[in-house]
Amino acid sequence: MTGAKAKSRWPLSPAMVRAVLSGHGILGLAFAAVIYLVCLSGTLAVFVHDLERWEQPAAPAITHIDDAAMKRALDTARQKAPAGTTLYASLPSSDEPGATIIAYSPKFEREWSVDAQGALTEKATTFSEFILNLHIALHLPRRWGEFIVGLAGVALLSSLVSGILAHPRVLKDAFHLRLGGSRRLQEADLHNRLGIWALPFHVVIALTGALLGLSTLIVGVLALLLYRGDTAKVYGLFIDAPLAVNATHAPLPSLTALLAEARRRAPGAEAHQLIIENAGRADARITIKSERERLLVPQDTTSFDAAGRVLKDQHPRDLVAGTRILGGIGQLHFGWYGGVPVRILYGLLGLALCVVTSSGVTIWLARRRDKGRAVPQWERLWAAVAWGQPLALALAALVAIIVPAGEAVLWVWLGATVVLLLGFGALRFPATAGARGMRLALAVALVVLGTFHLAASPTNPTGLGIDIMLLIVGAASLLARKYLRPLA
Amino acid sequence: MLAMVLAGVAGGAGGAALLRRAWTDRARTRPLLVAAGWLMLTAIVLIGAWTIGPVKGVAVAIAAVSVGVLGVVARGRVVRSARAARDSLAPEPLEGPSRAWRGVLKFLLAGPLGMTAAMGIAFCYATWAPGDPRTRIIIGGLLMPLAWALAMTWTLADQRLLRALAVLVGTTVAGFALAAMRGLA
Repeated sequence: MTGAKAKSRWPLSPAMVRAVLSGHGILGLAFAAVIYLVCLSGTLAVFVHDLERWEQPAAPAITHIDDAAMKRALDTARQKAPAGTTLYASLPSSDEPGATIIAYSPKFEREWSVDAQGALTEKATTFSEFILNLHIALHLPRRWGEFIVGLAGVALLSSLVSGILAHPRVLKDAFHLRLGGSRRLQEADLHNRLGIWALPFHVVIALTGALLGLSTLIVGVLALLLYRGDTAKVYGLFIDAPLAVNATHAPLPSLTALLAEARRRAPGAEAHQLIIENAGRADARITIKSERERLLVPQDTTSFDAAGRVLKDQHPRDLVAGTRILGGIGQLHFGWYGGVPVRILYGLLGLALCVVTSSGVTIWLARRRDKGRAVPQWERLWAAVAWGQPLALALAALVAIIVPAGEAVLWVWLGATVVLLLGFGALRFPATAGARGMRLALAVALVVLGTFHLAASPTNPTGLGIDIMLLIVGAASLLARKYLRPLA
Repeated sequence: MLAMVLAGVAGGAGGAALLRRAWTDRARTRPLLVAAGWLMLTAIVLIGAWTIGPVKGVAVAIAAVSVGVLGVVARGRVVRSARAARDSLAPEPLEGPSRAWRGVLKFLLAGPLGMTAAMGIAFCYATWAPGDPRTRIIIGGLLMPLAWALAMTWTLADQRLLRALAVLVGTTVAGFALAAMRGLA
């Protein structure tokens, strides 16, 4: 090993570095496809609220709603949902436009957008929901899917640690990016530069993602160990206990008065969410969560009973560190806390993580080829994953516009994934030609998607922005010189 | 927020430019330039915390700095003509014949046993550490994937599998036993 010749201050011996690198490779190869899919869908999930507006441009996206209009919207939602359903109403702001109401019970779930007069428009955003479910549970049964995604988060975290430990030239090569020469060197430079300089962000994403994915398992085992399997006792430490059951009819108190009281108790905070449990009954509870500009998540909570009496009044100073961390984990992971500029940063670094994952596999494949032990079938299969997944997602988005309801999106994505994997696995052609063909297909799909959406749907600024971006990226890829070269 | 993001990207690029200049000069070390580069990157994170909040600001600044630095890396790219691979200066992974039982044992160590050992550590922390039980549970929860990831890294690199097996089984048994003894109260 030539690296061993150099005098090094690296804490690990050259032999240990090689052993760590070997483990890094094994782990990366074992989880590459899942990590890549989770990262790609996660990058899109950062923009899920923008995608919702793109998918359903007719849905209202207001920046302000008065209390009376929100009351009308909640009354309408109550009539549309069965008794016992909890209503979650999100209030709009200039940073995050759009008021929504979610009606949820274990047997019922529906979401509406609210306009400035309090009228409801049912959400029909199949592609956005598909992306979120793909990222959270890979469309598998929820518990298994979350566990696999959590496991992928742990594998990613471990790969980040071993990647650093196995990189004694971390400072010497910190700014080297040599493109176009040896394939292996090019991919290694990309892999290492993106991996090193975005490391703090990637560690945060991997750690929070792993915790979110594994939380059900952790709580289950903790409850088994301490409470004979009663998970409600663990969750009960973090959520308010339900009020004593009293199904007697009781009208909801004036929402305007409750909001005014919550604002009075939390000066400097803006009401962000209303949660209404057991509406119309004597055991109703109305919770108002308010947010402050310098905090990641709402930390002011005021709860009222059916008579409008204050049940709970909690502010940032009252919260223990654990509750604050718990609230912030999801926001830190998804990047939904700082408006468009933060989402763009998350999107860029999410794409970087996709490239890190993909180039890791490419380095392994290139190393085998350089040593005369090429694995062309694996090269084709990886091309089918790395370029096939963006293509499958683009096709799924196209179908979502044409058939906005049902599960067509899921089946198109699954069908495209299976066909590409089987085709690339079975047919014998150079992987580079396959990858080039798929990049071309992806570029065409993006242009078609943007054009079709522009032509088929009324648009709003967010939707227009996404369409323009699709057209620019697609057209730039089509015009790139590499497509003009004959296929290798 | 936009101002902070732009300042973060610009500051990240500025700090990276200083570090790049210092590290490109292989003939001599440039400690002042290196210090200035790191100081600039750190200052951006501190400014983020100060202007938009301790958690929010640090998170935004870290992301913005990363993008700024990667911009400098991209700007300094060298494009070469295609050629066959040559020997790399980078270390090569260990390669050699491996027995099937070692593969199975490594899978068990990095997977289920690493997970249970990490849970043992997490639950031990959640039950024995001082402070509010909610904080202990959440920090324990964060420790679990972290400890599992470290166990994965270690067991996949360590050739002494029986030692790893003993450590992970011991940690699991001790962690769960101690957690069960103490409880959350």
